Amino acid sequence: MTVLEVEDVHTYYGESHILEGVSLEVDDGEVVALMGRNGVGKTTTIRTILQLTPPLNGAVRFRGTDIVDEETHEVARRGIGWIPEDRRVFAQLTVEENLRVAVPNQDEIAAGLELAYDAFPILEERREQRAETLSGGQQQMLALARGLVGENELLLVDEPSEGLAPQIVATVAESLADAATQTSMLLVEQNLPLALDLADRFYVLDNGSVVDDGETDDVSADSDRLRRYLSA
Amino acid sequence: MINTLLAVAPELVPLALVDSFIEFLHPSELSRVLIDGLSKAAIYAMIAGGLTLIFGLMGVLNFAHGSLTMVGAYLGGAVMVLMVSSTTGPLARVAFFFVAVAVVFGALSAVGGALEVTLIRRLYDRPPIAQILLTFGLTLIIDELMRIILEFYDIQPRADWIAAWGTKPWFLSQRLSVGPISVRGIALFEIVMGVLTVAGIWAFLTRTRYGLFIRAGSEDSEMASALGIDVRRVFTVVFALGTGVAGIAGALLMWDTHWGASVPLGAETLLPAFVVVIIGGLGTFRGTVAAALLVGLVDAIMSWWFVNEIKFSGLPQLTIFLILVFVLIVRPQGLFGVEEVGGH
Repeated sequence: MTVLEVEDVHTYYGESHILEGVSLEVDDGEVVALMGRNGVGKTTTIRTILQLTPPLNGAVRFRGTDIVDEETHEVARRGIGWIPEDRRVFAQLTVEENLRVAVPNQDEIAAGLELAYDAFPILEERREQRAETLSGGQQQMLALARGLVGENELLLVDEPSEGLAPQIVATVAESLADAATQTSMLLVEQNLPLALDLADRFYVLDNGSVVDDGETDDVSADSDRLRRYLSA
Repeated sequence: MINTLLAVAPELVPLALVDSFIEFLHPSELSRVLIDGLSKAAIYAMIAGGLTLIFGLMGVLNFAHGSLTMVGAYLGGAVMVLMVSSTTGPLARVAFFFVAVAVVFGALSAVGGALEVTLIRRLYDRPPIAQILLTFGLTLIIDELMRIILEFYDIQPRADWIAAWGTKPWFLSQRLSVGPISVRGIALFEIVMGVLTVAGIWAFLTRTRYGLFIRAGSEDSEMASALGIDVRRVFTVVFALGTGVAGIAGALLMWDTHWGASVPLGAETLLPAFVVVIIGGLGTFRGTVAAALLVGLVDAIMSWWFVNEIKFSGLPQLTIFLILVFVLIVRPQGLFGVEEVGGH
């Protein structure tokens, strides 16, 4: 069954036409990679799905319901989680408060915290620390954990490996693979081997349009088919 | 004394300064100044606390905040005048005061919420000058409406409302003495009210789920929305809460001889509140409380020193602004401020 359906979406920033008729789908239990060079509209696609930057035309359906014109918090409450590109943890809040904010129901906080700390034990050690005092890798873990405790049916994950040391990338990849067993995922990732390893299918964006899509099993990170659109 | 010495024997000024410092350290003087400073800090914290909550979450500098404090003073006064008669005992007056505080908080919160929903909300995506013009315009409207209402009831709008002041229980008008220490009753009452209010807000922000939403939304309202928080509703609640607390401060000021319920009270409270918010760091409640303590104590110490030694009462206010300038030069984001706050 289709969880997310983006159909012929056109999104603008002021006068700039960023998404020029993007269409894509994510099915139940599926990880879909959204790839492309910098500035082609990957993050805008995620912002459009969340209605942070609503589209001017087109439809965004979640479980068959058009969510265009809904408020972002309503979209989130439907079960769409966001792990943003620059982590965006709440710097002045403690680790635990960052997680508490993300749990939708107060009576499920204990279970949510347990889930997060099982996935990232280092966060439990630092539960009372302000998020601003964490390293970049730990902040990324916190951002991922926040997505996990939100009981989401779909996670929108934007550049999770960006700026991280290789050993931290491995931890993050492992966590994403674990998360993918419980939820569908739309993954924006420039690290091709990581994206292809995690995803079942892929879309390639170029100049605000989908220019290629397919099964990840049919391509490799160094294939001409992908390098044509992804190399700098 | 020091200004006289400056004219006739400037070489004796250092001795006079030492003398005045020793005089200041006398328990009776020291306790009086400290209590006065803490009472000012309590008032500043209550008024500036609401202002900083609103700015921290919404990025709105509410110029109408002082006028809403003034409305709180008159509304609280009206409730007290209606309930208190000449035979009402002092404890009953205190009890009625808390009824007045509840009425003021409820009414001003409702007004604040309504203002946010009907007017402020329309301006979030506009440049800050639009918010400043709107809230400044609201100040003019509120002040003028209050003046019209007061003149209708034959109350002098520019002078303190004596009838409201007269509802104060007698022991708050007295100086309370323990040994060499003698303090104004109303100052102690203001400190207690300030501590209760600040503690209440602090507990709300740090111990409740809604408070957590407010703190998260203050840092990054877009991310908070993406986590399912209805940030617009949080905006309304914070504007209502901030306005309600300003109203409580106003109700308290109707009994204070230094302030009193009058239409100019709005402008008189707004300026120090802004100074406190800026020194503490725009949008940080912790910083606002610390800055209120700093400004209140410095104000009281300088008031004592200038009035008793220099005999020039206009200068204490200047020291507050000197602190402001110093903080802006040394730490532009304020004592506890972060570099960027607010947003929608």
